[in-house]
Amino acid sequence: MISPVTQQHSSDHVCFADIHRLLALFAQGLAGRYLHLKLVEPEDAPRWNARMTDQASIFLPAQIRNFATAQHNLGAYRIAVLHQIGYWVEGTADFDLHHFFAASSRPVLLRRIFFAIEDLRIDTAMRRRYPGARADLERVLAHALANRSAISLMPSLPALIEALVQFSLGAPRAALVAGDSSGLLDGLLDAAAAVQSMDADVHDSARVSLAICAQLEYLGPANEELPAPSIAKTTAVVDGKPDGEFEPGSEDTEHGAALHVEFRGDTASDKAFWRRSGRPFATSTREPPPAAGAVIEERSAGQQTLPVRSSVTAVQPREIAGPRSFLYDEWDYHRQTYLAAWCRVFEHRLRGEEFGFIEDVRRRHSTLAHHVRRQFGFIKPQSWRRVRRTSDGDELELDGLIEAVIDRRTGHASDSHLYVRRDRGLRNVAAAFLVDMSASTDFALPGSATVAKPAGATTQAAPSGLYLYGDHDVPDPVVAPQRRVIDVSKDALALMCDALQALGDSYAIYGFSGDGRDNVEFHVAKDFADKLSLRTWGALAAMQPRRSTRMGAAIRHALGKFARETAGIKVLIIVSDGYPEDHDYGTDRTDREYGIQDTARALWEVERAGITDFCVTIDPAGHDYLRRMCKETRYLVIDDVTALPHELTKIYRTLTAR
Amino acid sequence: MQEPWYLPLADEVRLFEAAYEARLPVLLKGPTGCGKTRFIEHMAWRLYRQIDSPRRGLEVPLITVACHEDLSATDLVGRYLLSGDETVWMDGPLTRAVRSGAICYLDEVVEARKDTTVVVHSLTDHRRVLPIEKTGELLDAHPDFLLVISYNPGYQSVLKDLKPSTRQRFVSLDFSYPGIDIEATIIAHESGVDPALARRLAVVGEKVRNLREHGFEEGVSTRLLVYAAQLAAGGIEPRRACDVAIARAVTDDAEVQKSIAAIVDVLLP
Repeated sequence: MISPVTQQHSSDHVCFADIHRLLALFAQGLAGRYLHLKLVEPEDAPRWNARMTDQASIFLPAQIRNFATAQHNLGAYRIAVLHQIGYWVEGTADFDLHHFFAASSRPVLLRRIFFAIEDLRIDTAMRRRYPGARADLERVLAHALANRSAISLMPSLPALIEALVQFSLGAPRAALVAGDSSGLLDGLLDAAAAVQSMDADVHDSARVSLAICAQLEYLGPANEELPAPSIAKTTAVVDGKPDGEFEPGSEDTEHGAALHVEFRGDTASDKAFWRRSGRPFATSTREPPPAAGAVIEERSAGQQTLPVRSSVTAVQPREIAGPRSFLYDEWDYHRQTYLAAWCRVFEHRLRGEEFGFIEDVRRRHSTLAHHVRRQFGFIKPQSWRRVRRTSDGDELELDGLIEAVIDRRTGHASDSHLYVRRDRGLRNVAAAFLVDMSASTDFALPGSATVAKPAGATTQAAPSGLYLYGDHDVPDPVVAPQRRVIDVSKDALALMCDALQALGDSYAIYGFSGDGRDNVEFHVAKDFADKLSLRTWGALAAMQPRRSTRMGAAIRHALGKFARETAGIKVLIIVSDGYPEDHDYGTDRTDREYGIQDTARALWEVERAGITDFCVTIDPAGHDYLRRMCKETRYLVIDDVTALPHELTKIYRTLTAR
Repeated sequence: MQEPWYLPLADEVRLFEAAYEARLPVLLKGPTGCGKTRFIEHMAWRLYRQIDSPRRGLEVPLITVACHEDLSATDLVGRYLLSGDETVWMDGPLTRAVRSGAICYLDEVVEARKDTTVVVHSLTDHRRVLPIEKTGELLDAHPDFLLVISYNPGYQSVLKDLKPSTRQRFVSLDFSYPGIDIEATIIAHESGVDPALARRLAVVGEKVRNLREHGFEEGVSTRLLVYAAQLAAGGIEPRRACDVAIARAVTDDAEVQKSIAAIVDVLLP
């Protein structure tokens, strides 16, 4: 990408990182689907053009500095995007290239010719489709042409193919023909020019390619230095039909290195095209490749591929007995689309027998319990309410006044309640707490275990003996249970419940965990409709660490819980101890971004439904992902987990005191 | 009264005429700026102003109410007013339409207070009556009266959805943004720009709608495309017209604005 000619303009270079989002939106708008813009890896840089398009991606260089101004370099990025989305927009991706090439006796030769012709067609169509990009395109073509080798220095077969490429770049026909020693080029260019017609489609490119290939097939020896990038070998193997034309030693010749055109990419691996032809290529088991017919039908109908529905609407009750389950969509940020009915959420009722849990909490946190209750006592009804038709008030009720005058004049008794009074309204709040019950909440808090000597115990070790019981048996020391993250969460929620009860707010407590998309667990400790009872305390105490943290599905299910709540203020507070994670949360388990993006999407759905969300995370590294999941004002990272009850109280007060 | 120009997208004209013949209340659903209001104006003209219409004598065939959150049933039905030493009953727009036999169009009905939507219930079934509580009158609807409501399911929050008891009283006509050919025709007709530019703007609309998930759920409306065309017809450079009428109108996100500008840039000559 960096040529000696271009290096002098480095001060006006444009970096991919600076314009990534702009180009991604640009591509999505024009292609009608999300295309993943990826950076070409540095090791590929010498041949970054070897492969730029795959399933739904466009590969671009880290920077472009070929031209004198930043505007022109940005234009070159645009042209690279436009050309590559051209494979989708102009129908190349719908064509069964695999079978087309495989049917040829010289598939690699046919491939080279086909893409020279197809790129010519796409660039010609680009001029028509995007007239505003013509100047950039001509500039980029001219630059690419200036860096090509002279065909007069090449053997006949590579020279003819190079001539086709240069023709597609706008080289003057007369100059090309003048340098041709085979006498075939004039006829080949005639054939190639046919795809510049407005009506030409990918089938015309295929037809022209076959015709040209037939003319060149017997020209020169089979492996005559025809440029063959390394990807060609891979293709031949994948095709299951090794192409004898290309021996390893013949690859990447100096002619081959010059074959590619930077902005066009190279379609050698053809993943996208195989996908269209129904050939499996992806290792992902997420969904089968769509049938070519279906895709074509979809395109011809001009359907919008980007989904606009909310996954919240996809709730479906399960039809079999057992815990109720619900299907929810999941947001796949790679493809910017919802995976329909992707996650099954099982709703479980938490049941426990530790009914004295709250007494234990009050005893252990007596000072804190008092503080929380006191803090909640300060919360006053959150809004003023205009009470009409009162006997006294701040202002006159105009409608009532008019009616009173009318009544008086018509001889009827009039009402004396003619004022409007501003009263504090009743609290009208519904809040749900969604607690992470993943395995990591089993983490023991440092220094939380205490050992107490039992009364009468001695430091002497019990002698070993034949008897299990006897005077020598020393009772084990009493060890206070080690406090874990989940325990602190439960304590905090218990204190909240205790205080909220006095406040009169409607509230619910849920936990979530799971093991894969087919088994997301949603545990109900207290639903909105449940009255606080001993059973609630038992259920709260029964919250235990379980498995993974598939947060998006849990949030969507919690969102559904608000559907029947009519409160003016709705709040969802999520308490977790780490980033969203599950073994199949995205195709790559190490890809944290998938879960983060799905959770961010779920939180967006929550906000869209008029519910205020807030994330509290007990994870010092929480800032890294929370700032990508939530708005800055909607999350809190707590370093000291024991501060959770205090912080929750403050958060709740803030969120509901609007 | 001139015929309001309307280009049918499908069979909505025929459906509306059939609904009118049966006096079935109609619900128009669709995104903002897709032509719902123009459609009802056009239908009012067809039903009340065509030469062979038996209803040509009606002075005001269409009474439109733009609903808002403070709109009450009283605002629709009417109220007593003081006039000198007298009290005078003043019909609200709904009552006027019910008496005269006009079409009453409640635009964005879910924005109105709940009591407003309930007051129309008795007008939308076989009874076709409007109870006026303050006068004690039970007003039979004029035989030509029709109630039409509209709402935009896209951006209304779940809190403002129509109640099933209201929704299920209406025949529902769905509207969406037209395809490129029809939209180009609309743009050219409404603005006077040449068909080529109109088509380019329609393509811009189609492409920009592909970005609707990025902060503007509605996409760009046909109305905005017409605005851009009208600016261009008035001598504004088309890219600048698209900048102010499309990119800056649909989003405040600077990067999305730039990407829309880039789309416009390559699509316009």
